[in-house]
Amino acid sequence: MSRRDDIRSVMVASRAFACVECGRCVAVCPMAEMYPNFSIEMSPRGVIKKVLMDADILSDEHLWYCTECNAGTDVCPAGVSDRDLIRGLRHLAIVSGKVQEVRTCQGCGEQYVPVHVMEFISERLKEEPTEFLNMCPACRRKVYLMRNA
Amino acid sequence: MQEQTTQARKFIGIEELRPLPEKPRLPRRPPVIVFDPARCTGCSTCEMVCSQRNVDKVAPVSSSVKVVHSEEQGKNFAILCLHCREPLCMEACPVRAIDKDEAGIVRIRRVFCVECGICTLACPEAAPLQEPFTGRMRKCDLCDGDPLCAKHCPEDALHFYRGKALGWIRLLRWPVQLVSFLLLVVVLVGTFCSFTAGIVSLPCPTGTLQNIASTQTLVLVTLASALVLIGITILFGRVFCGWVCPFGFFLDLVGSVVPKFGLPKFLKSRMIKYGILAGAVGGAAGLGFQPFCTVCPIGSICRSYGPGGVIKGAELAIVPVIAGLELGVRRSWCRSFCPVGAVLALAAKIGIIKIVIGAHQCKKFSCMQCADTCPMGIIDREALREGIAPKIPMDECIMCLRCVDTCPYQSAKIRFRWQKTIPGEVKAWTYS
Repeated sequence: MSRRDDIRSVMVASRAFACVECGRCVAVCPMAEMYPNFSIEMSPRGVIKKVLMDADILSDEHLWYCTECNAGTDVCPAGVSDRDLIRGLRHLAIVSGKVQEVRTCQGCGEQYVPVHVMEFISERLKEEPTEFLNMCPACRRKVYLMRNA
Repeated sequence: MQEQTTQARKFIGIEELRPLPEKPRLPRRPPVIVFDPARCTGCSTCEMVCSQRNVDKVAPVSSSVKVVHSEEQGKNFAILCLHCREPLCMEACPVRAIDKDEAGIVRIRRVFCVECGICTLACPEAAPLQEPFTGRMRKCDLCDGDPLCAKHCPEDALHFYRGKALGWIRLLRWPVQLVSFLLLVVVLVGTFCSFTAGIVSLPCPTGTLQNIASTQTLVLVTLASALVLIGITILFGRVFCGWVCPFGFFLDLVGSVVPKFGLPKFLKSRMIKYGILAGAVGGAAGLGFQPFCTVCPIGSICRSYGPGGVIKGAELAIVPVIAGLELGVRRSWCRSFCPVGAVLALAAKIGIIKIVIGAHQCKKFSCMQCADTCPMGIIDREALREGIAPKIPMDECIMCLRCVDTCPYQSAKIRFRWQKTIPGEVKAWTYS
């Protein structure tokens, strides 16, 4: 199966072909609060548009800003699952080895969060000690177990 | 396009829609579940009852409390929200869906939450969870003040506290300080420097050191009696500074009234007092008299009250200057300058007593009340924030026991030096 078919199956599974471009997902997108350079390219609408235009979506760094929240899915009138769409496309980008803007956990090596999301969090928490941000949630719990039990 | 978006943001950002609330006043008795790992058997009852309440089915994946196990080391640990004083999740949430109510419970407001999972990533314990049945974020809300997990824990490892401080040590310390102040200043006039009651004489250790240096003679009786205070310090820590010292009492009174502005950095070093001590002893050897004792604020305040009931002014000139230091931080004189404290600090360093905070009680201290109340400022806030039991340098501790008194969870305790109280030296944020 070629890469295009993979992308196509992700679009089908997340009902992205049903997108009516109403822009509700952009209106509720929390990325608008998080990134000063928020643009349509980051939004699910922009991503769907790019796939339909046959652009090289997998090597696009705008894929890696999304927080995988549920806000767009909640309001979508066509029932597009934005979260599944972005997750599927990111998975394809990782397996095809194109762009990997993902932070890797120091403990277990899991890819647990996109770089941009983590940059946002560490900027919000810049007055706090933030060593724990280098670990995935499961490893943080394990560290607590090791340290305090 | 770019400019338009930024302009629109300027008018209706989240700052305008839902501005961060003012720093809420900490409730006097903040509710929290305290976990005792020594008692936990890892039975997961807490997970079951919590998920029963959350999603109405017994499914540990969707519970807000998480029990992690280590099979190799036989350890169990419950991860749960501690309702921090300054919650990191609240700060990080991009849509401001998390807030802390007056009771001190950190909640997710359902209407605003978009389930982005940033709170989980911002939490040092990753306590908020994405619940797989509905995909919504779940976090502990203490069951609105009656937590089921604490109620159902068969081993009582989870215990619900509504923070209750001891509160009576304070009632003991202030009278003791007042009595010793009156005793040293009014009753036994001029006597801290060489306190004589009958045949027993208790001279100030710093004065004794200077005396030895200046006269170049070693009087065994003086030395032995000076060692009494040193011995007390080795046994009980610097109780003299916290409970007896008349000038310390004066500073405590002043410090509870005046506002604080912070000290410049070069005055903050705690090594200054050792320098002053060395200078005083060296100067005594050179000059032939005790140079520090002439300006010593403790001595001045002791000698100030004359036999006729008159307060002698000249010697008290140094007192307001040093009391002015109190505008910087509390007990700033005792922290960095007092050479009497320096001698006692050297003794307390080899003392047999220590203060421990968080012995098997409080894994991550969200309230910081011990650090707030400590007059010497020796409780490490960073360690508290990261969830490590902070090391308390006993040479700086004046044994005022304010931390023991104020800790709502009674996890500040006095222990012998050799007692093991923390589970080994594990470095922060690394695997064993």
